[in-house]
Amino acid sequence: MKKTLYTLLVAGTVLIISCKKSLEQQPISNNTIDTYFTAPNDFLQGMNAVYNDLRTYPDRLLNLSETRSDNLYAVSEGGVRDWEGINSFFKTIASNPYVEEGWSKNYNGIARANTMLEQLVKNGAVIPDATLRTRYEAEAKFLRAFYYFDLVRLYGEVPLIDHTVLADEALNISRSPVADIYKLIISDLQFASENLPIPSAYAVGDKGRASKFAAKSLLGLVYMTRSGPDYGIKGPGLGLNEWALAATQLTDVINSGSYTFATNTGTATTAYSNIFALTNENNREVVFNVEYATGSNPQVGATYPWLLVPDGYFQSLGKPNQGGLEIRPVSTNLLNSYEANDIRKPFSIQAGYAIPRGVTETRSFFKKYVDPTQVPASRTDWAINFIVMRYTDVLLLKAECVLHGAPGSTATDVDAVVNNVRIRAGLAGGKTGITLPQLMEERRKEFAAEGTRWHDLVRSGLVTTVMPAWIAADDVRKQIQPFNNNYIIYPVPQSQLDVKIGLYSQNAGY
Amino acid sequence: MSKILQLSEICGKKFLTLLFISFFSLAQLHAQESVTVTGKVSDEKGLAMPAVSVKIKGTTQAVSTDANGMYAIKANIGAILVFQYLSYNTQELPVVKAGLLNVKLLEANTKLEEVVVIGYGTQKKGNVTGAIATFKADNLDERPIVRVDQALVGQMAGVSVKQTSGTPGKAFSIQVRGTGSISAGNEPLYVLDGFPLASSSPNGSGNYSTGNPLDNINPNDIESIQVLKDASAAAIYGSRAANGVVLITTKRGKSGKPTITFNTYAGTVERSKKLDMLNGAEWIDRATEMINAQWVASGTGRTASQTTEERRAILGLGAGAFNVTYMLDDRWAQPNYGGLNVVDWQDEIFRTGITQNYQLGASGATETVNYYVSGNYVKQQGMVTGMDYTSYSARANVEIKANDHLKFGVNIAPTYSVTNDPGVEGKDNILHQALSMSPIQQDLPGAVNVFNNTQYIWSVSTNDPLAKLTNSIGMTKKFRTLGTVFGEYKIFDDLTFKTTVNLDNTDNTSKSYVPYTITGSLTTRNTSPNVGTSGSYGSYRKRTFVNENTLSYVKTLGKHDLSVLAGQAYNSDKLENVSLSAVGGFGVGGITTLNAASAINGNTNEAMNVLISYFGRVQYSFDSKYLLSASIRRDGSSRFGSNNQYGWFPSVSAGWNIAKESFLKDSKKISDLKLRLSYGESGNYNIGDYGSRALLGSNNYTFNGVPAYGQAVIGLANPDLSWEKSKTTDIGLDIGLFQNRITASFDYYNKLSTDLLLNVPVPGTTAFPTQLSNSGSVRNKGVEFELSTRNLTGDFQWTTSLNLSHNSNKVVSIASGQSQILIPSSFDVPHSILRVGDPMYSIYVVRQEGILTQQDIDNKAALFGSQTVGDPKYKDFNGDGVIDANDREIVGKPNPDWTYGVTNTFRYKGFDLSVLVQGQTGGSIYSLLGRALGRTGQGVPDNALGFFRDRWRSPSDPGAGEVGKAYSTFGRIKNTDWLYSSNYIRVRNITLGYDLGKQIKGKAVKGARIYMTAENFFGHDSYKGGFNPEASNTNLSGSDSFPEAGDYGGLPLPKSLILGLNFTF
Repeated sequence: MKKTLYTLLVAGTVLIISCKKSLEQQPISNNTIDTYFTAPNDFLQGMNAVYNDLRTYPDRLLNLSETRSDNLYAVSEGGVRDWEGINSFFKTIASNPYVEEGWSKNYNGIARANTMLEQLVKNGAVIPDATLRTRYEAEAKFLRAFYYFDLVRLYGEVPLIDHTVLADEALNISRSPVADIYKLIISDLQFASENLPIPSAYAVGDKGRASKFAAKSLLGLVYMTRSGPDYGIKGPGLGLNEWALAATQLTDVINSGSYTFATNTGTATTAYSNIFALTNENNREVVFNVEYATGSNPQVGATYPWLLVPDGYFQSLGKPNQGGLEIRPVSTNLLNSYEANDIRKPFSIQAGYAIPRGVTETRSFFKKYVDPTQVPASRTDWAINFIVMRYTDVLLLKAECVLHGAPGSTATDVDAVVNNVRIRAGLAGGKTGITLPQLMEERRKEFAAEGTRWHDLVRSGLVTTVMPAWIAADDVRKQIQPFNNNYIIYPVPQSQLDVKIGLYSQNAGY
Repeated sequence: MSKILQLSEICGKKFLTLLFISFFSLAQLHAQESVTVTGKVSDEKGLAMPAVSVKIKGTTQAVSTDANGMYAIKANIGAILVFQYLSYNTQELPVVKAGLLNVKLLEANTKLEEVVVIGYGTQKKGNVTGAIATFKADNLDERPIVRVDQALVGQMAGVSVKQTSGTPGKAFSIQVRGTGSISAGNEPLYVLDGFPLASSSPNGSGNYSTGNPLDNINPNDIESIQVLKDASAAAIYGSRAANGVVLITTKRGKSGKPTITFNTYAGTVERSKKLDMLNGAEWIDRATEMINAQWVASGTGRTASQTTEERRAILGLGAGAFNVTYMLDDRWAQPNYGGLNVVDWQDEIFRTGITQNYQLGASGATETVNYYVSGNYVKQQGMVTGMDYTSYSARANVEIKANDHLKFGVNIAPTYSVTNDPGVEGKDNILHQALSMSPIQQDLPGAVNVFNNTQYIWSVSTNDPLAKLTNSIGMTKKFRTLGTVFGEYKIFDDLTFKTTVNLDNTDNTSKSYVPYTITGSLTTRNTSPNVGTSGSYGSYRKRTFVNENTLSYVKTLGKHDLSVLAGQAYNSDKLENVSLSAVGGFGVGGITTLNAASAINGNTNEAMNVLISYFGRVQYSFDSKYLLSASIRRDGSSRFGSNNQYGWFPSVSAGWNIAKESFLKDSKKISDLKLRLSYGESGNYNIGDYGSRALLGSNNYTFNGVPAYGQAVIGLANPDLSWEKSKTTDIGLDIGLFQNRITASFDYYNKLSTDLLLNVPVPGTTAFPTQLSNSGSVRNKGVEFELSTRNLTGDFQWTTSLNLSHNSNKVVSIASGQSQILIPSSFDVPHSILRVGDPMYSIYVVRQEGILTQQDIDNKAALFGSQTVGDPKYKDFNGDGVIDANDREIVGKPNPDWTYGVTNTFRYKGFDLSVLVQGQTGGSIYSLLGRALGRTGQGVPDNALGFFRDRWRSPSDPGAGEVGKAYSTFGRIKNTDWLYSSNYIRVRNITLGYDLGKQIKGKAVKGARIYMTAENFFGHDSYKGGFNPEASNTNLSGSDSFPEAGDYGGLPLPKSLILGLNFTF
């Protein structure tokens, strides 16, 4: 009997010891942060994940910039779509999913960039190639600046997070003045522009990564945005006169020889549409883009192409619904602003459709990125890249700086650029003495459906005059609330205000 | 065994080996010398009692009396013989010498001697100090029940069983004493014959994506069910017991002649309710009104009296073209609607299904072997075309007594079930679509907008729901085997060692297939055939392995009764998932497997958790008067943070059998009176297997068209993460009056759940919206009352049992510094709130108060957007002069205040009749289905709830004052329009039976009974926006952090009429 009891006792001890270990279960199907960033490839994958947050950026631009602007008359019949209130300036959009997404996605990207930067300090030595290490740092800083710039343009003051934070710390970080955020943005972009490779230095397989000139272009835009009027709100404009600083950065890009302004050859008029062709991705116009591809698992495809396209259009083509739901009609004002024969109009805009049951949609919508022959197997997996910044934009931005007094010649830096753009669009060139409103009007048509319109209006100061005038003219259904300057930025998402009452204050006017 | 050993590889492979060696070495010890005892067992009147079990206490050695009441048994001198027969008082007599020992058994007039199953053992009911509800499954095989949870509806106080679905074979939801957890689930732990089954919580949609513990378990095999409600009873199960523990005991062989039973039933299944929707004429009336209003509003010079042709001309449309927003179908005004069909879609998809069940069982016991073997076949057609459930199950419970010291046994239950459900319940699924489908159609049901038919242009674009039901596949096959091997060794007379090895393995496959012929538009079907075809195949394997070892010591010394238990357990769950789905349709038509798909996405993943436990319990009673019990458990789980993997779960309870005191001993009135007090702490560990870790997930990108793999943190780490703790105090009183003709139990409990596993909202600057942490607390308080009376005895017998429970639930705190969390909503603004001081998931919407009149508008009533006369009038809760989301207020709560169940049983001669009435009051349902079918500004094509019949049409014809005008453009906000009371009362079951035994006595058949059952035939509820006030099928929050399963198209309860036969041979 004693023997048995001893046996049991021994058995029990063995059990206790061996079981202690079995509580340390490692996740089978996931890595954990404790065991990652120990090999060069881990850093590559960590870096790629920072880019991953770019994937919803085009959708965000279309929802929060294009839809907010005078380019679309996006008030819906039933009043229930998520874009309701964006275009019609509802006061109560703090819980709007688009407004929420802009905050959460950008901070997700910032956190990933911060993780990457911290891991480079901690474990970066495992990367044998010092140049690569510096490139990763520069890429992470470029993307961090990119996400912060988006935040500032959307919300004005935001919390400044330059390292990874856990909940306890985050609960004590309130919003920082816009100028402080810009400080980080500018220093990050300066580091990026000094340390990122020029486009041609990247291997073919790395096409799409941030380059020196992407950083300079963005930095130029940042200076320009800071130079915009402050409207008496704590928004992205600081009323600084940094047009010359911006022009310097943009001039570097222009003089780099890395990019070419695409022109029509012979009688062809396809140069404009060709910029956006799936077969012509990463062409010489592209300074920075968000890249997509179809057919991978997990998917790395896009949803933005159909975002502004009503499902009925795809039905009329005999294609499955994609998810754009109802039409967000192009505003009458934009439709009428195109000159006859402007080839950008039919390329960017679809004038209605008929679905074969005797029902006709007569309103127009943006279909710039939809090639009906390229409808993917899954609606969330479109292949086409989204060009965030293209060379034409750099040229026109530089022209804008010149009109604001930056060094340069009005004739060569403004008139020539605008005329080239017009000629490519199938219009007559030869315009002289281009004014700022004319330049912005040209931008509106050139970049229609590219998500720049709202930001352009804000930067140029036109928003306070253009929007009220447009509402008065186009709001036939009287659904748009009166515009006021507070609506230049969005409200802080309600979910963020709710986390800890008093941590963040709501933007004025909401 | 090799599999089992392999499973336990990580933990104690050596130990198991040692265990078995020591176990069998023990087995070699010999028994003491014994004598033979014989005698006769008779009843009060001296009549011989056959089939009485005579058992040697503390062993399974037993015989039973023969037809003359005689028995003979070998026993040691000093052993205790236990004489047991059904409702008679059990007698225990010591063996003092060889030879005669006659016994007289008295019919029980007390329930105190009943034995109840408790965690790791059994206990006399009289000695129970915790709150335990008992369900005796005696009559379970006489009801058409396919699931164990179904049997528990309305049976026990404090145990709320909700039938959340009308899909045959689908799990019910069980809650014990309210809901204490916000995100870690509120389902109890199920323990089947001592085997703790892996707990699982329903997902946000209310479904069990990796199976429910009661799936495939054959209710006909169940002997009894005990629910451990308070922490003192349940705490022995530690970290899994916070939501209560349900102990299920399957049947064992009884001593005596082998018994063979055959039970069968067959009957019909139908819907128990039809939803009031607009009929064809009413739909046309509403469509006409709306289209005309839209036309008039669309421009100057447009009037309702303009003809279709005139409108076409004004719109500049070509001949034959329509704008359905502005133009009517002229056929609506013609006789017989010009050949259009009027369809009642509900009538089209519902049907009368057939259900049938066959169960064959054999059981018996000899001195050495005790067995119960059964086989069962059930086939149940659903109330909707295309839905059915088939199950095959078998069970063998065998116990072998090797010698006086060693006993071992095997329980094994292989089961297989097939469920067909083409996707009926839930948002945008077939039932919801059938309700919303326009009742006026160009084609006949089964052919609307499918195959070669186009859509009727005034109708919704939905494809024919009937065609979907008959042409798509949604098939789930589940093969589950439960197996237990156990051995029991009596080391001394009073000390027993028991070891069990349990394995529960489920292999589940599900296949879905929807052909393109019933999807999309005709154009799409014609231009891109097969592209719209979708298909998927998924499977999971879920394995639970449990090894438990206990030592128990039972000693009676004079008036002192002592029972001590110590044990240790190892528990692991492993889940392996495979999912495959077609991308971009199929390349080949007519093939339903994925080899025909044009491309496939596939995925596998695995997860595992380990739980290690040590536990002990002491139970002491003095003279059966003063009862004390204390237990403790230490659990360690791999699910929790490295800083907090282990937890202690203590409990203590006391009881006082007042009726045994001298002053009450001779009372004629009070036959039983017991006071119980208990306190205990238990836990809830139901989170993902790796919830405390900062996991990395795939976050890919692409460069130059080539995928670029990315890894990023997908959640915040929390090394402090630990269990939810729940502390329950319980005061109970059991009372029996007039020889227990009236028995009652009363319990008051106060359960505080703290350290909730809560996805606490954190600033987005952390990169995440929430962090899983132990935060917040919820209190559930309640009273429970159970009453059982024998109203009439004699030839005509009438017994009543009633249970009544009240629960109130309150959020005590959330995260530090937070006073409320708005539950996100997938549909419009949030409508549920967790607010300190209010019940969990309180309903938080704008209040509707009638219809806006011109006078209201003149008086500057607060408006929502562009509201006009005839639109609903909302309450300006915050008084700021406009209606918006800030005007939401708490208007209700989902949990009922009171739930009750009453069973009345009548017997007269061979007839028996029982009626179960069950219901609840005090709760509300916020119905997203009601919103989908009856929203403001609802478009023309959708069919609408019947209340639109009495809508506001003009100031002089304001209707019922509930529903505004048909054409409104102000949009919608979550309001009380879709708030319904969840009160209901339902006659769950009426069974009329007749004992054929007397008619066929003397033949081979020992007993026979014929019966007829009506389930869910009568009832009443106030839910006009859906079928079933308890339905849950759709994730309303769209968030895993705050799961909120609600109704977005749940089936009514099935109503069935059954004829059944039971035979005993």
